[in-house]
Amino acid sequence: MATQTHSLSYAGCNFLRQRLVLSTLSGRPVKIRKIRARDDNPGLRGTTLYYQPGLLYGGSLEHDCSVLRGIGYYLESLLCLAPFMKHPLKIILRGVTNDQVDPSVDVLKATALPLLKQFGIDGESFELKIVRRGMPPGGGGEVLFSCPVRKVLKPIQLTDPGKIKRIRGMAYSVRVSPQMANRIVDSARSILNKFIPDIYIYTDHMKGVNSGKSPGFGLSLVAETTSGTFLSAELASNPQGQGAAVLPEDLGRNCAKLLLEEIYRGGCVDSTNQSLALLLMTLGQQDVSKVLLGPLSPYTIEFLRHLKSFFQIMFKIETKPCGEELKGGDKVLLTCVGIGFSNLSKTLK
Amino acid sequence: MATMESWDQKKHRKKHSGPKAEKKKKRHLQDLQLGDEEDARKRNPRAFAVQSAVRMARSFHRTQDLKTKKHHIPVVDRTPLEPPPIVVVVMGPPKVGKSTLIQCLIRNFTRQKLTEIRGPVTIVSGKKRRLTIIECGCDINMMIDLAKVADLVLMLIDASFGFEMETFEFLNICQVHGFPKIMGVLTHLDSFKHNKQLKKTKKRLKHRFWTEVYPGAKLFYLSGMVHGEYQNQEIHNLGRFITVMKFRPLTWQTSHPYLLADRMEDLTNPEDIRTNVKCDRKVSLYGYLRGAHLKNKSQVHMPGVGDFGVSDVSFLPDPCALPEQQKKRCLNEKEKLVYAPLSGVGGVLYDKDAVYVDLGGSHGFQAPEEAGPTQELVQSLISTHSTIDAKMASSRVTLFSDSKPLGSEDIDNQGLWMPKEEKQMDVKTGRVRRKAIFGDEDESGESDDEDDGEMSEDDIDDEEVEEEGDADMAEKCMTVRGVKRQKLEELDEDSEVDVPAFADSDDDLERSSGDEEAEEADESSDDEDSAAGGERSVSDPKAVGEGGKVGLAAASHASDHLNLGKSLPTKNVALTTADSGHCTAEEAFGSEDESEEGSSLSSQEEGSESEEVPRGKLAEPSQAGRRWTPGSENLASETSDIEDLLKEEEEYTEEKSYSTETSGALKWKEDLSRKAAEAFLRQQQAAPNLRKLIYGTVTEDNEEEEGDPREELGGLFRVSQPDRGCKHKADSLDCSRFPVEAPHDWDLEEVMNSIRDCFVTGKWEEDKDAAKILAEDEELYGDFEDLETGDVHKGKSGPDTQIEDVAEEKEELDPSAEETAKKKHLDKKRKLKELFDAEYDEGESTYFDDLKGEMQKQAQLNRAEFEDQDDEARVQYEGFRPGMYVRIELENVPCEFVLNFDPHYPVILGGLGNSEGNVGYVQMRLKKHRWYKKILKSRDPIIFSVGWRRFQTIPLYYIEDHNGRQRLLKYTPQHMHCGATFWGPITPQGTGFLAVQSVSGVMPDFRIAATGVVLDLDKSIKIVKKLKLTGFPYKIFKNTSFIKGMFNSALEVAKFEGAVIRTVSGIRGQIKKALRAPEGAFRASFEDKLLMSDIVFMRTWYPVSIPAFYNPVTSLLKPLGEKDTWSGMRTTGQLRLAQGIKLKPNKDSLYKPILRQRKHFNSLHIPKALQKALPFKNKPKTQAKAGKVPKDRVRPAVIREPHERKIRALLDALSTVHSQKMRKAKEQRHLHNKEHLRAKQKEEEEKLKRQKDLRKKLFRMQGQKDPGKKLKAEEDGQTRRRPSQARSSLRRRRSRAGSTRRSCVPPSRQETVPGLGKTLSTAQGILRPGLRWGMAVG
Repeated sequence: MATQTHSLSYAGCNFLRQRLVLSTLSGRPVKIRKIRARDDNPGLRGTTLYYQPGLLYGGSLEHDCSVLRGIGYYLESLLCLAPFMKHPLKIILRGVTNDQVDPSVDVLKATALPLLKQFGIDGESFELKIVRRGMPPGGGGEVLFSCPVRKVLKPIQLTDPGKIKRIRGMAYSVRVSPQMANRIVDSARSILNKFIPDIYIYTDHMKGVNSGKSPGFGLSLVAETTSGTFLSAELASNPQGQGAAVLPEDLGRNCAKLLLEEIYRGGCVDSTNQSLALLLMTLGQQDVSKVLLGPLSPYTIEFLRHLKSFFQIMFKIETKPCGEELKGGDKVLLTCVGIGFSNLSKTLK
Repeated sequence: MATMESWDQKKHRKKHSGPKAEKKKKRHLQDLQLGDEEDARKRNPRAFAVQSAVRMARSFHRTQDLKTKKHHIPVVDRTPLEPPPIVVVVMGPPKVGKSTLIQCLIRNFTRQKLTEIRGPVTIVSGKKRRLTIIECGCDINMMIDLAKVADLVLMLIDASFGFEMETFEFLNICQVHGFPKIMGVLTHLDSFKHNKQLKKTKKRLKHRFWTEVYPGAKLFYLSGMVHGEYQNQEIHNLGRFITVMKFRPLTWQTSHPYLLADRMEDLTNPEDIRTNVKCDRKVSLYGYLRGAHLKNKSQVHMPGVGDFGVSDVSFLPDPCALPEQQKKRCLNEKEKLVYAPLSGVGGVLYDKDAVYVDLGGSHGFQAPEEAGPTQELVQSLISTHSTIDAKMASSRVTLFSDSKPLGSEDIDNQGLWMPKEEKQMDVKTGRVRRKAIFGDEDESGESDDEDDGEMSEDDIDDEEVEEEGDADMAEKCMTVRGVKRQKLEELDEDSEVDVPAFADSDDDLERSSGDEEAEEADESSDDEDSAAGGERSVSDPKAVGEGGKVGLAAASHASDHLNLGKSLPTKNVALTTADSGHCTAEEAFGSEDESEEGSSLSSQEEGSESEEVPRGKLAEPSQAGRRWTPGSENLASETSDIEDLLKEEEEYTEEKSYSTETSGALKWKEDLSRKAAEAFLRQQQAAPNLRKLIYGTVTEDNEEEEGDPREELGGLFRVSQPDRGCKHKADSLDCSRFPVEAPHDWDLEEVMNSIRDCFVTGKWEEDKDAAKILAEDEELYGDFEDLETGDVHKGKSGPDTQIEDVAEEKEELDPSAEETAKKKHLDKKRKLKELFDAEYDEGESTYFDDLKGEMQKQAQLNRAEFEDQDDEARVQYEGFRPGMYVRIELENVPCEFVLNFDPHYPVILGGLGNSEGNVGYVQMRLKKHRWYKKILKSRDPIIFSVGWRRFQTIPLYYIEDHNGRQRLLKYTPQHMHCGATFWGPITPQGTGFLAVQSVSGVMPDFRIAATGVVLDLDKSIKIVKKLKLTGFPYKIFKNTSFIKGMFNSALEVAKFEGAVIRTVSGIRGQIKKALRAPEGAFRASFEDKLLMSDIVFMRTWYPVSIPAFYNPVTSLLKPLGEKDTWSGMRTTGQLRLAQGIKLKPNKDSLYKPILRQRKHFNSLHIPKALQKALPFKNKPKTQAKAGKVPKDRVRPAVIREPHERKIRALLDALSTVHSQKMRKAKEQRHLHNKEHLRAKQKEEEEKLKRQKDLRKKLFRMQGQKDPGKKLKAEEDGQTRRRPSQARSSLRRRRSRAGSTRRSCVPPSRQETVPGLGKTLSTAQGILRPGLRWGMAVG
């Protein structure tokens, strides 16, 4: 009787990851119907998915990701699940490391990992290593992600984003001239130098086996603040054979502008990791957690709704107007009380 | 006299304290010439000097260790500001005085006497503390459940009897489920006649209690009884102890919400019950929430019933509130509240007087209403209710049009109004009254109430007549609601605003989501309010109805008037069910629909209704005036809300153009996105809009997306339309990136400036700007005095101080200026000191202190974060916080729960965490309880109590071998931990559990079978049991043999290639390869040649599957009086016993007395010839060695006298003669004999010769007669020789085999051979010849 009301039901393929992740963590089965029901080629064998979660096992794994989406697509879900495994996760993912759709591995490494550290997920084995780079459409990249296991998470109070003290970046190029990266760096610096002098953009030109299967280049920028907040922006070149060729100068300049946009949005967590921060706040102890965010992305908004239906948790949302200060746009302060989640997979010794 | 002597004999005792002792000590010190110093360390410092650095270090370590040992891991203190009442469980064996103690305690705290106590009783015990007292009997179900919710256990012990098993059982249960505070209470102390015996008993019991709980645990003594009650002073002391007691948070309790229900109502639609008595019920439970925050729609477990999803939660005003002002020292009489609805105190439903009066006799009280409403009661209830519905539907318009004092605005207000319920104490009767008061009365307080009281005295008759005459007050409130609904509908049509999502105020929205998510915010909140209003309005006349006889009169009058022919109890029931009206909104809808269809029932009622209305008018003004007078501040806020509402409506006037059908999916979506865009730009209004954008439009039930939502929601709402809008993006790309839609032009200076301050290069805040902080420091620390030189350095003082300094110098005479300067100086000093203090204190801080500080900070934040918000909003964010009095609705509750409700049994709702509602594999560490007499068997069903649950399951016990293999155990070890795994509900690791074999009846022995802790929650371990495969050689080469019978196919053999095999006699070998000829045969090589008689076996491990059996103990569903008789699945042993089936043992397994043949050894015989040939050393030494004769044995030489010598010589001579004579005689006789023998032989020979001749003659004659006889006789002689030959050859063979085996088998293995042989033979015994697996486990 109870199991009937226990499971949740959704329609459509969007937010599939959210639903599966939350279903796994909350232990509630989920049914997703009408997955691309109208399409002639839905891409699946059926249009309905029923997911009954179990317990997370972890351990050493390898997975070949689809080249249609970046590794970031998979990593984002893994970041949510990895701390709650039975054994520490150590996974090798193969596929596209940097593309134009998903947050790249570089950005996740620079922003999501420090965020997880705020929640007490830390240790020697906590790392994300880019072994090979792979650009779309060919892929061929390889990433090693390992994460320790935690029983409980710490509550956070991230209300002061601090001031940006440095900007770091990574200009990468594979199977193109190594000069591309340098050109990107110069153009990006030209814009950012107006704000802060402490800028260093690494160039990363991978060769041979490590350069994947397709040519491409790109830039990811990260701004670090005095209170340990990381804001990021990134841009990648068009995949081979799709769209017009992109000039590295333009790419650098646009990416720098994107970073300025991100800074304008502000907050203590950058826009891609909003949902991750909110999830970990929800899964904290029964204490108050606070986080200051920039404008909520549509993905985050949907995530908040999902959090409500899976965990019955509602966030207190306060808008902080920008006012007179020259600190970018409006901010949103989100507050919640954790549900007192504990890792049921971890063995008691 | 005797006593006098004993006194005299007593020794003098020196004083150890007091002035006399001190004086003496001083004198002693003076005698020693040590002066006044008492501290030896100071007096004689040398004696305490460091002698050894190592010892010093050790002692330092030790003190540090002891210090650290005292630390507990700091936890965040999550107790709410207004904590729930403390649960005091009074436990003890029967007839120990539990009920008496509870009654005495209640009387002590509240000055009230409860005659019959059923279920929990909540009382206010002090300014900051309330107690919920509950009695615990000896049913193990009840003991387990109550141990999980107890904060304090009063453990009653009959001192005249001593400890009883229940006490120890309960202690053990408590230990497993987090140890609550336990206080022992000794009763029956008056049964001791001798004081000495009493003292001894007390001491004995105290020390036993201490060993069980902890040394120094408080044990209370209740000596004698006065008039059937304990002595006042003792009870008072006990009460004091309870009131000041401090509690440690228990892990399970603080991490889970739970509720000890003190009231239960059945909300099932009577129609459903009428059609099917056994239908699942809808039930609401009331109680204080405890532990953690409870979220709506979460999962709960009701021990004894099962798992449920909470269908709705709402909080109610505290029925037993703490006093408001805290200034006084003690409570006044009015504040000493008691609340025990199940016992008939304080609640509406089980209100004492009402029940008495309405049931018309004390016998009605005997049968508890909630315990089991009888069939006819239910029937009559149904009929009443349906008429009410019909009536309500038909009469609403009439009432609305007629009731002039209730204008349309008033009704509107009424909807927004939330009346408060207040408990009042009638000073004269000591009863608690539940009175509905409204916002305006809040401030005016007591005087208003009194006025009301007076007025009600006057109005009682009128009101009673009017309201009861209306058949029911509930009907009235429903009518009001109905009217309002209609009005709202009209409003919708008129304005055509899509108010639902945005036009409402913040609070309303929050309120709404608790109720029905799918409903539009505005409407739903109104509904709820009106419903709540309805309840108040019902409770109001109820409070009046408490007036005893008047109530009776009124009731009877009403029944007469109505002439409905209904029995009085029915009426009461109807009233009570309607009382919970505010949750039956759905029902109301339903009935509304019915009425629209036009039910024939209503017409009759309509008439009476219309009659009633004018009469009702008389009482209406006063009532209405009391009820609907606009409140001062609440109303103001409400009106402002309305203003907001209107304002926002104006803002979105353009949306008015959307008609109901055009406000479809697309439009809605456009609307949303536009607003979302605006939300980020706007400032103040943005907050609620953003929240609504996220939560407001999302319905909880996604199932409702399908189908026509209008039908499901009563044809009123269209909220799921935005969801439909969402469907457009339902199939879009799943990406977390947030692309920039309208990028800024970052080349523009002003755009660039907008983020200037985000960088360290920008401007800093006041409190962080380095320059400012530096300046402040200068001001604070600027001037200092050099103590050595005496110079005073002046800092650069601010302009104001400088002026003052100047002034100081110039006008030194001005006293005021001097004073201010001085003050300033002092201030500065104080500040410095504070800073220093703070720094100093922090400087000493350890990791532990830091952690503690962090936790404290978090606790403060937790408290402060939602403090300023009202409860409605708070509930949305943090859930229902502990301490609230809540009402929880559950659906699909088995009907037995309601039908067999027994208030004596605790009803607990335990909240479940995430995935705790799921069922899976659980592993635990288990130990059989040392007092339990039997051992536990694997696969025997057993009842576990884990978390909130009690359930029966089939565990498998296992133990981990040294190599990490988990080996199945048939039985639990006696005094050791073992593992256990079962299929059951998932409970977090580290949770304690206990196991009992049965929860039914009373067993003579200790009932708790095992205890332990949950370790793991998945199927990660593999439990295995031993499996032996046997085979037989069919062909033997030298060391290679062909074995058959072990496997069935070549494939199986292939799987086991290389596996180690062995024969029973201990010859080891290996499987080589499968053979073609008989299926499953293989070639194997051994370390020695096998015999055909050998049995070959292989030891393997076979994984065991865990039976998926999970059966919750549903003891609360059992009929009254049989709650302790739940019995689930029976063990095979029990079944066998019941069915009389005897197990047939395997013959080979039976033990028989072992008969051993005695071994007989022949003496060793060495032939003489051989003996002669042997060298000397090997020659058998037959004669014993002539050892030295010991001296005492040596006979002394005899020296004879001459006389004796003569005699001796004579005797010698005589004997020589005699012997000579004898020899001669013997020779002669010998010769004679020889002679005689020779003669006899001669005679014999002659005789034989004669006989021979005679035989010869005879044979010759016979031979001539038949010739074949002689031949046969010869043959017989040959056959007789043969068997002996065979026997000897066999013996030879055997000895050879034995010797070879002995040579190849190590001695230790040799010993095991018989055992193994036995096992194998057993195994073979099991097997039928056709079977391939030989199995022997052990």
